[in-house]
Amino acid sequence: MIRIEDLHVRYQTERGEVYAVRGIDLDVKQGQFFTLLGPSGCGKTTTLRSVAGLEKPYQGEILVGDQLVLSCRRKLLVPPYKRDIGMVFQSYAIWPHMNVFENVAFPLRERKRSLPEGEIRARVRKVLSLVQLDGLEDRPAPFLSGGQQQRLALARALVKEPRVLLLDEPLSNLDAKLREETRIEMRELVKRLGITTLYVTHDQLEALTMSDVVAVMEGGRIVQQGTPLEIYSAPQNRFVASFIGLSNFLEGRVKTLGRPGAVETPSGIVQCVLPDGVAAGDEVVVVIRPEDVTLNNGAAGANENVLEGKIEAIVFMGDALECQVAVGAKQIRLKLHPSSGVTKGSSVRLKLPAASCRAVRA
Amino acid sequence: MGETLRLNLWQHGIFLLVLFLVLAPLSFLVLGSFSTARLPGDFSLATMGLVNYIKVYADGGMLDLLSNTIIYVAGSAALGIVMAVVLAWLVERTNMPGKIFLYAGVPTTLAMPGMLQAMAWVLLFSPRIGFVNAWMKDIFGPGAPVIDVYTLEGMIFLEGLRLVPTAFLMLVPLMRSMDPSLEEAAAVSGARPVSTLRKVTLKLLAPALVAVMIYQAMTALEVFEIPGILGLPAGIYVFSTKIYAIVRTATFMPVYGQANALAMVYVFIAIATTILYTRMIGRAERYTIVTGKGYRPRQLDLGKWRIPAFIAALLFLFFSIALPFLVFLYASFLPYLQAPSAKAFQTMTLKNYRLLAEYGEVGSALKNTFLMVVTTATATVVLSFLVSLVVVRSKFWGRKLLDQLAFVPHAIPGIVMGIAFFWVFLKLDFLPLYGTIWAISIGFTISFLSYGTRSMNAALLQIHKELEEAAYVSGAPPWRTMWRIFVPLMMPTFVGVWIWVVLHAVRIAGMPLILSEGPGNQVLAILIWNMWDEGYVPAVAAIGTLLMITLLLLTLAVRVVGFRRHAVQMVSG
Repeated sequence: MIRIEDLHVRYQTERGEVYAVRGIDLDVKQGQFFTLLGPSGCGKTTTLRSVAGLEKPYQGEILVGDQLVLSCRRKLLVPPYKRDIGMVFQSYAIWPHMNVFENVAFPLRERKRSLPEGEIRARVRKVLSLVQLDGLEDRPAPFLSGGQQQRLALARALVKEPRVLLLDEPLSNLDAKLREETRIEMRELVKRLGITTLYVTHDQLEALTMSDVVAVMEGGRIVQQGTPLEIYSAPQNRFVASFIGLSNFLEGRVKTLGRPGAVETPSGIVQCVLPDGVAAGDEVVVVIRPEDVTLNNGAAGANENVLEGKIEAIVFMGDALECQVAVGAKQIRLKLHPSSGVTKGSSVRLKLPAASCRAVRA
Repeated sequence: MGETLRLNLWQHGIFLLVLFLVLAPLSFLVLGSFSTARLPGDFSLATMGLVNYIKVYADGGMLDLLSNTIIYVAGSAALGIVMAVVLAWLVERTNMPGKIFLYAGVPTTLAMPGMLQAMAWVLLFSPRIGFVNAWMKDIFGPGAPVIDVYTLEGMIFLEGLRLVPTAFLMLVPLMRSMDPSLEEAAAVSGARPVSTLRKVTLKLLAPALVAVMIYQAMTALEVFEIPGILGLPAGIYVFSTKIYAIVRTATFMPVYGQANALAMVYVFIAIATTILYTRMIGRAERYTIVTGKGYRPRQLDLGKWRIPAFIAALLFLFFSIALPFLVFLYASFLPYLQAPSAKAFQTMTLKNYRLLAEYGEVGSALKNTFLMVVTTATATVVLSFLVSLVVVRSKFWGRKLLDQLAFVPHAIPGIVMGIAFFWVFLKLDFLPLYGTIWAISIGFTISFLSYGTRSMNAALLQIHKELEEAAYVSGAPPWRTMWRIFVPLMMPTFVGVWIWVVLHAVRIAGMPLILSEGPGNQVLAILIWNMWDEGYVPAVAAIGTLLMITLLLLTLAVRVVGFRRHAVQMVSG
């Protein structure tokens, strides 16, 4: 439904050229909820705005549905108002001089073939009830709460039933509690309508809970793409592992290949899952999530790593105890049940299952 | 792609139009300064030379002119800024009562035409006819001291009063946004209130004060009406009145080239301030990001000085608005000019107002003024909006240059602009504009372009970029977006700029004095100037009274619009 090929965008700023997007390819299937996730400045919003037609890329092609909207080779750039899209902006961009009804009716009134007033009215009603803003038609837009503004912006984006919905950090201006509720509501709504959605966020929780597919971006490129589970459980590089969730990193060299393979680290030999195509002696980083590390009481089983260390710090988090364990010169974080009864300074043996230890290229 | 081309075309169109409107008069001004022909009509590239410069700058009176100008400009700027600082400090940082009168009243003084204020002070303090001087003679006999308003001191005092409201409006937000903890820190460190004021408050304000002072000095340098009414009769010249005297002296043939040569001073100032302004704006934008914190500054308890402070503040309003108005109102009912006395009040009559209605020139001047003011205001609003749209919202290659071009006329006084246009309309005679009110209209539009674009730039920056982009992705092409998003959101600014231009165009005499050619394009300000010159004082008082009332009402309208604009900015920000 959305296809981007080899997209490059650069800006002219006072300090020279900035390459915001450097070669992005992606393919969003019909009805998919696709998320671009990354820190600020990674090019995710620029990519989204390129799909909307608000940026002028210097290389690449974009297809929305079967409409070719950008082709730098053919010098084609379809302006935003001729694209079959709806968009929610980060600031919501609710027009303050119009009431709720007129804000939502705007896209219908700007259609090439004008609609009869009765149909406009009916369609605005329908979409307002979809986002639960019924009865607020005559309310001046500035007199809405943040959550209402967000839903109004969504209604305005949906009213002309576009094939593609573009969402630019639509939850970042809501308070934490509201954000949590809206996440689920929003995903359910777009799924129910079956609309293809491209979503931009820097919040990993939003990306993991809402998306069908997540593309993690860094420095204008996509560094990993997959389902939320794949992204979380099998990060393919150190950036993804550290950006999403908490991770422990053990640097080392590949010792033996195999399943599991072995990596020699300053803290000892660690059995782990190796990435494809590494050779013995290659530098790698072993990644393990704190919740996968446990305390070892018996003997080490097969395919388990056991490391000895000393508890340096304990932080009570409510639902867990977060411990920092010094293993040689390295710190390893782990999460324990609050009732674990560990004490600061005591020596412990850590169990790291080989299946949860993943080596990525350094 | 067709749309991109069209967008490009109109951006270039605006750019070329402004380029022509600003550079054409300036080029003629520069060229004319080298012309050795006496009149612009005889101008030719064959007769060029430095004669004008030698004549003007080597003249024996040059030293006097220079020292007069410096004393007048420095004196009025200093007086104006001291009064403004005191007033702003009283309303923002002390517990003086009745602040609302000053918040409302000080900006209202902007509505008073300087020409009329100067005339009112002449009626009070002219050595011959001044009411106050007449009373003094009655009381103390012929040897009584005479206060003469036709002096440098008179000009400084009056221009100082006139500079207060703008400086006040610039200083109030500064005083309000100053972090009080900086002063509290001084107090906690053991500084007494007075030394806190001197060592912290004023030091913090110093950069802003310098900026305001430069702005004020430029205004004083450009103003024509005050030195025109108070200085010309006594032969005390400053730059602006000297230029006028060169081209409009009855006794000599006018020498336009010399006026141009003298006006070069202003051209250099205009270019220098434009460069300075561009640099400051570059820096200012970096600072604006940190503003927006709502402080509640500590207020000094004035104690037993509360009431005297209030009375002193009211005195400013009295001198600026009430006194000139009362003097005019009084004089407008007199059959002939005389100092107020029981006898004078008995002879009061409506004759002057009746005469105005019967006098044909008043009617045509009113019609001319109305047409000129409405076209000027409308043209300024439309042109400024389009220029700002390109400057703020486009990626047009020349947008910065366009912004600077629109700013240049700001530092060119009306008299000089008038002379520049005089050349343009005479030499480009395929434009049948010379001697029409449209000539005055075009001249004013360019003069006000700077104010118009500054206001529009600021207002456009307030409109979040995403409000515009949301319209595009909703299917609205650029011109529909302009019509449905920008125009309604900008409406308060449009109205505000429109009324501001009306307020100024109706009363400025400088440029129309140069471009005026008989009753065909005589506007109200010129009619008043001429009638005053010929001594019809009670008639001038009658027109002036009506004009003051109209302008005060218009100012009230601006304030109402201003409040609405504030409300819109709050929701769109």
